[in-house]
Amino acid sequence: MTLVHCLLLAAALFSLGVYGLLTRKQAVALLLSIELMVNAANLVLVAFAKFAGAPTQPIVLFTLAITVAEVAVGLALVMLLYRRYDDTLLDAASEMKG
Amino acid sequence: MNDPLLLAAVALLVPLAAALLLVVAPPLRHRGTPAAWICIAASLASLAAAVRLVALHAQLGGARWTTTWLFAAAKPIASVGLCVDAVSTAMLAVVTLVALCVQVFSVAYMHDESPRGFGRYFALHALFLFSMNLLVIAPNLLQAFAGWELVGLTSYLLIGFWFAKPSAARAAVKAFWMTKLADMGFLFGLLWLFVASGGFEWSAKLDPTVATGVTLLLFVAVVGKSAQFPLHVWLPDAMEGPTPVSALLHAATMVAAGVFLVVRADPLFAQAPLTRETMLWIGSTTAVFAACLALVQRDIKKVLAYSTCSQLGYMVAALGAGSAFAGFFHLGMHAFFKALLFLAAGSVIHAVHSNELSDMGGLRRKMPVTTFAFVIGALSLAGIPGFAGFFSKDLVLASLEGRAGWIPWGLLMGAAFLTAFYMGRTVCLAFFGKLSPKSEHAHEAPLAMSVPLLVLAVPSVIAGFFGAEFAHSLGAHYEVHLGLTPIVASSLAVAGFVAALVVFGRRRDASVASAIERLDRASFVDRGWEALYRRVLLGLSDVLGWIDRYVIDGLMNLTGYATLEAGSAVRGAQTGRMRHYLVAVVVGAILLAMLGWAR
Repeated sequence: MTLVHCLLLAAALFSLGVYGLLTRKQAVALLLSIELMVNAANLVLVAFAKFAGAPTQPIVLFTLAITVAEVAVGLALVMLLYRRYDDTLLDAASEMKG
Repeated sequence: MNDPLLLAAVALLVPLAAALLLVVAPPLRHRGTPAAWICIAASLASLAAAVRLVALHAQLGGARWTTTWLFAAAKPIASVGLCVDAVSTAMLAVVTLVALCVQVFSVAYMHDESPRGFGRYFALHALFLFSMNLLVIAPNLLQAFAGWELVGLTSYLLIGFWFAKPSAARAAVKAFWMTKLADMGFLFGLLWLFVASGGFEWSAKLDPTVATGVTLLLFVAVVGKSAQFPLHVWLPDAMEGPTPVSALLHAATMVAAGVFLVVRADPLFAQAPLTRETMLWIGSTTAVFAACLALVQRDIKKVLAYSTCSQLGYMVAALGAGSAFAGFFHLGMHAFFKALLFLAAGSVIHAVHSNELSDMGGLRRKMPVTTFAFVIGALSLAGIPGFAGFFSKDLVLASLEGRAGWIPWGLLMGAAFLTAFYMGRTVCLAFFGKLSPKSEHAHEAPLAMSVPLLVLAVPSVIAGFFGAEFAHSLGAHYEVHLGLTPIVASSLAVAGFVAALVVFGRRRDASVASAIERLDRASFVDRGWEALYRRVLLGLSDVLGWIDRYVIDGLMNLTGYATLEAGSAVRGAQTGRMRHYLVAVVVGAILLAMLGWAR
């Protein structure tokens, strides 16, 4: 297992996240996709620390903390969306149409 | 009470206190009568202080107190205070005496007014007295300017006292507009004086060009305030105000403020021969021109108004000839007899309820006291020897002897004849001849009106005899000498009266009388100003209004409109669907990544 393998895995994870972000309608699924993308980024950071000796491991800890906060806010938004529209489909909220 | 400054402060501040009291205590003002008493008490205190000041000044000489004012850049640029000297004490005495007489007269004259109107009237009178005293006692030109503008304001308010009457409202606006136009001269003159001398002193030393410029600008203001040709047109219209107001403001004191200003600023004017030359000509022209107009008026107040213009012309001409004392002396005498004439006319108007001379006639039998007072005033104004007007007019004419090829002298002699003639005409038409229907029910004025008349009649007769002492206190020289001028002037005055008696007397010479009355009213000056107002000023306002509406507002509106249009053009991009935004974010991120890679 080399750096290249790790980076390819991270790229695949990230692409999966982008695909999910663009194709899913459920708000919860979007959050999951974002989670995939964040973890792809984390994987890159860890891989560089392991194989190239870059001092990037502490950044991963920060990223995890930020992700936890992001998920908390995101889930709260999903709750509000559900309360308001009785639905978690993103297309329900389209009042910002210009 | 032996401190001149304290007395001057009393004369100045008591009327102010009365005015403020009437402003902040509406119940007093709305009840009417208390306001009158407060105002009259304040004037009485002011008069007492002024009289004591005159006596004190004779013993102790002048006094001066100033305090700095208007701090700018850590350095005061002006001062205000009290200046007690011969000119200000004499003027204070004249102003307060006439004001008191007029206010007492007003109590009876304005009797039919509603209590609120009555209170407002006296509040304005108290404010006027303060403003006039502020101007009179000013130690420099800046304070004088403040008083000058304040008397202009009270004049506007009092001319328009019956503001519900359209003609009165229009006359007030006209007076304000005309005098304000002239006051621009005062303002620019002040600025120039400050730039040139660093102060506002009455006796600043200037170089000749600046002195000429400054004094010419000040003279523009004098022309406006003292109703000289060609800015005199507001004064006859100002007669729309109550008659006592005309007596106080538009005959005795406020219009004389212009003359007073020149007397005060005599050291400045002495440095500008060109300005004095201008004053000489404007004054003598106005004296004759206004006398001609007075001849053909059918309204008793308008006769007196034009007569005021004419007499102010005498004063301005004397000042132009360099004789400040002659001008100032005539100012004082004129204040007495013209206030007397106006109040007597007010008494007549009160009795017959009309201003028209044709509605009067034969009032001699109905109103003996008023007739007596009016005749005294007329004789004094005409300059019949022995009366106050004779001495001062003689002095004015004597100061003009030999000036500018005797032409101003000749003009004023002609005006002296006309003065006697139009006063004779007015006396004949109003008080002699047959009773007119309206004067059938006329009655003598009540005591509150006749007493002020008699009080004013006294100085109108005897004040002239004090000329020598008055001159002495001012440091001027005065003696009555039997020469060319007094003989010609008094014979012309007598001739004028006799001619008027012949034409308008008992056996009225109808053809001559009607010919005179049909003379053109020469209102061309008025029409000229009206055209200037309508065409030029309103035209300019229209142009500026158009620019404001379409260019300045247009730019604003264009900005707003363009923003709105740009917004509607791009609003389609906002679909409200979050997935579209996500696509945009992803595509944007990819583009950025490609951009970074390409570098």
